Amino acid sequence: MAVGRVLAIARKALGQLAHDRRTVAFVLVVPLVLILVFGYGFGGQPNHIATVVVNEDHGPLGAAFLAALPGGILDLSTASSNASAWSAVNSGNDWAAIVIGPNFTEMARAGVVSLTLYLDGTSPTIAQAVESAVESALESVFSSHGNGSAVHVASDYVYGSSTTPFIDTIAPGIMALAILFITTVLSIVVLVRERSAGLLERLFASPLRPSEFVAGHALSLTVVALAQVAVLFTAALAIFHATFTGNLLFAYGVLVLFGVGNLGLGMLLSAAARSEFQAIQFIPLLLIPQILFAGALFPIEAIPVAFRPISDILPLTYAARAVQDILLRGWGPSGVAIDLLALGIYAALMLSGAILLVRRQA
Amino acid sequence: MRTAGGDASGAISVHDLVKRFGDILALDRVSLEVAAGEVLGLLGPNGAGKTTLIRILLGLTRPTSGEARLLGEPVGARNVRPRVGYMPQDLAVYTDLTVDENVELFCRLQGVHGDRLRAREREILELVQLSTRRRSLVSELSGGMRRRVSLAAALVADPDLLLLDEPTVGVDPELRSEFWEFFHRLTTSGKTVVLTTHYLEEANRADRVVFLNAGRVLASGAPAEVKSRTGTGNLEDAFLRLVRSGAGSGV
Repeated sequence: MAVGRVLAIARKALGQLAHDRRTVAFVLVVPLVLILVFGYGFGGQPNHIATVVVNEDHGPLGAAFLAALPGGILDLSTASSNASAWSAVNSGNDWAAIVIGPNFTEMARAGVVSLTLYLDGTSPTIAQAVESAVESALESVFSSHGNGSAVHVASDYVYGSSTTPFIDTIAPGIMALAILFITTVLSIVVLVRERSAGLLERLFASPLRPSEFVAGHALSLTVVALAQVAVLFTAALAIFHATFTGNLLFAYGVLVLFGVGNLGLGMLLSAAARSEFQAIQFIPLLLIPQILFAGALFPIEAIPVAFRPISDILPLTYAARAVQDILLRGWGPSGVAIDLLALGIYAALMLSGAILLVRRQA
Repeated sequence: MRTAGGDASGAISVHDLVKRFGDILALDRVSLEVAAGEVLGLLGPNGAGKTTLIRILLGLTRPTSGEARLLGEPVGARNVRPRVGYMPQDLAVYTDLTVDENVELFCRLQGVHGDRLRAREREILELVQLSTRRRSLVSELSGGMRRRVSLAAALVADPDLLLLDEPTVGVDPELRSEFWEFFHRLTTSGKTVVLTTHYLEEANRADRVVFLNAGRVLASGAPAEVKSRTGTGNLEDAFLRLVRSGAGSGV
């Protein structure tokens, strides 16, 4: 490989990009949009949940419990009776009703804590948020009143905390997904375009080797990926105040390695396609399974067990997991060695495949 | 070694070259010698085998049988590539890059960098009369200008051998004439130019012409020689007469 020719190709590819302002915007704005959409759109915990409360308790503990409900999560209003609380949920005015019976304090002092929740289960996320708010209020009231409840779970967070913001947990996945999206889209048309214009033939009539052609494009895409990751990190830190415990530069490197592998895959598919239109049809095929099965946005544990082996063959699985482990758990190279190995193999296989196929296209 | 030299070692030597694409015989035992310092016109109708021959010489296609050597090396040898300039029949320049960027890319791929690249670029862009458009995107240029960018990309690294597939298509007559003068100027420094054209009259300006038809060499020689041999006044008539008589081909 001659460095001069690799650089000439990289320069060419970056020049093409520089003259195409829309693509520049696409490359820089898409990751920003992705992180904004996911950060705001499904980044927050449910809060300000309309909840109606009936407190018929003759003693003080019912009121103490209500005061202990975590602020901001539930928007409380009061109802006069059990029946009206139920109908508030039934009519859709409220997501939940909390009914505290007349003997709440008395029974609690006798060791039985009991109240009634009416929940609208059409949104399990909201129902769970109400339940967990109620449980945490109960726990705080009955431990401070010296009437420790019968059940106590000692939760000690090894990583993160019960208040880890959702954006922290999802940002690594979004970053890996954004890199996958852009590198695939950019590389999948490269070969088709050069081939149809007769350029590939002309390039390979020169001393240019296929490996230099692929390396030059990988280099230019690395520059693009560096800019994209910078946008992603800046947005996560500045807009969402994400708190990453790990080494940003290391995560940066992993994302770039992932991008280079995607470039190889894009070029391979590009070589298999006869036209730009055909090439573009590969994009959903590449993206959708990875969005769903790679654990970038939804935990792999949420996938039916029978489908989980799929996630083992998706490169995004390893990229998302490595970036999560680095940024959230603060792990170093030894902690993510398997993921790095998988990404390295992916990049090596895809790039060598692309090199083998490129020359045949000329 | 930068010059091919005008010695006995030919720039191109082709012996009994055969190329089949399935049932189609694209080249049928073609033999050809091109001396260094020659301007050779490769003539023939569409499908005659001109482009296939050039692609084999460039190492882009393997011949079915036969032998071909370029600047003394077997075709496809890596060390001759920096010494060969190629202008394909397709436009084959980046329309989303500027004139400069295209010319520089192909110059760098041929191994010419730095000050020498700048100097060559200036010279070549003057020749193709694009000096004032060097910062324009190729997509903003007319069809003829685009062809000139493509020619500039083939010439810029100062190759010893030029393989030009229809270099004068879409170029106006005045500039076409200048191109021919330039080709001859190149040969005085030992360079070799092989070009295809379907403007048979301009081929009169070649040192030698080779008529190809249906994959076979019908005739070759200096234009005047070919005309007198066929008893015709121009190359077009000469070609038609050769095709009808089935000369050299047994058709």
